[in-house]
Amino acid sequence: MAFTGNFMCTSFKQELLTATHDFTNGTGDAFKLAMYTNSASFTAATTAYTVTNEVSGTGYSAGGGTLTNVTPTTSGTTALTDFADLTFSSATITARGAMIYNSTAGTNAVVILDFGSDKTSTAGDFTIVFPTADASNAIIRIA
Amino acid sequence: MSFTDAIGTGGFSVSVATTSHRGFTPAEVAARCTNRIVAVADTAPPAIRQQAEAFRGHVEKVVEFYMQEAVNSDRTTVCNALTEAGHPELATLIRSL
Repeated sequence: MAFTGNFMCTSFKQELLTATHDFTNGTGDAFKLAMYTNSASFTAATTAYTVTNEVSGTGYSAGGGTLTNVTPTTSGTTALTDFADLTFSSATITARGAMIYNSTAGTNAVVILDFGSDKTSTAGDFTIVFPTADASNAIIRIA
Repeated sequence: MSFTDAIGTGGFSVSVATTSHRGFTPAEVAARCTNRIVAVADTAPPAIRQQAEAFRGHVEKVVEFYMQEAVNSDRTTVCNALTEAGHPELATLIRSL
């Protein structure tokens, strides 16, 4: 199997309606980003973090890195939230994609991210750069 | 309520930046930082877009300058810590980077 684009997990959409997730900076839930090889098999039906096919290497620990939440805001009629860029320092790893999950509310999946191709850092920095936090590009938005 | 979550349909995407055998330079980090601070819409009128791009270029130069200042200042701190710990040769090596 392989990554097939970026998508929001269906369970996450449902959990938004049951107030499972709180993206507030500081007082909200903790969200993590775990990275995977291209052998990972995720679909919209994915519901939780898994160690299966998670990357391993220097500078990366199972479970991934903790994200810094940006408190949700609005732009026009769109609500959106964002995360600060995440860097794995002095890392030697290769990853094809990632999962953002809520590590406070169990390990509930939020989104699956496809890097488009294998990305590699060798004794260097591996940084996930989040898109502009606006109504057209933000990583999570409700229009 | 609708979610736009598919790439290619106004959805979201992240990008990845990596390095090998080094960290990011102040210029590389400044470019990323500026993209977070200043966004110029593709649909902006040409005159406004031109002005915004010029502003973005100015912000990037300022951010890069102060990032380099922070790097230099941190190296001073690290070099002093190494010297005080009895490793002046390491301090010299760091200072020469």
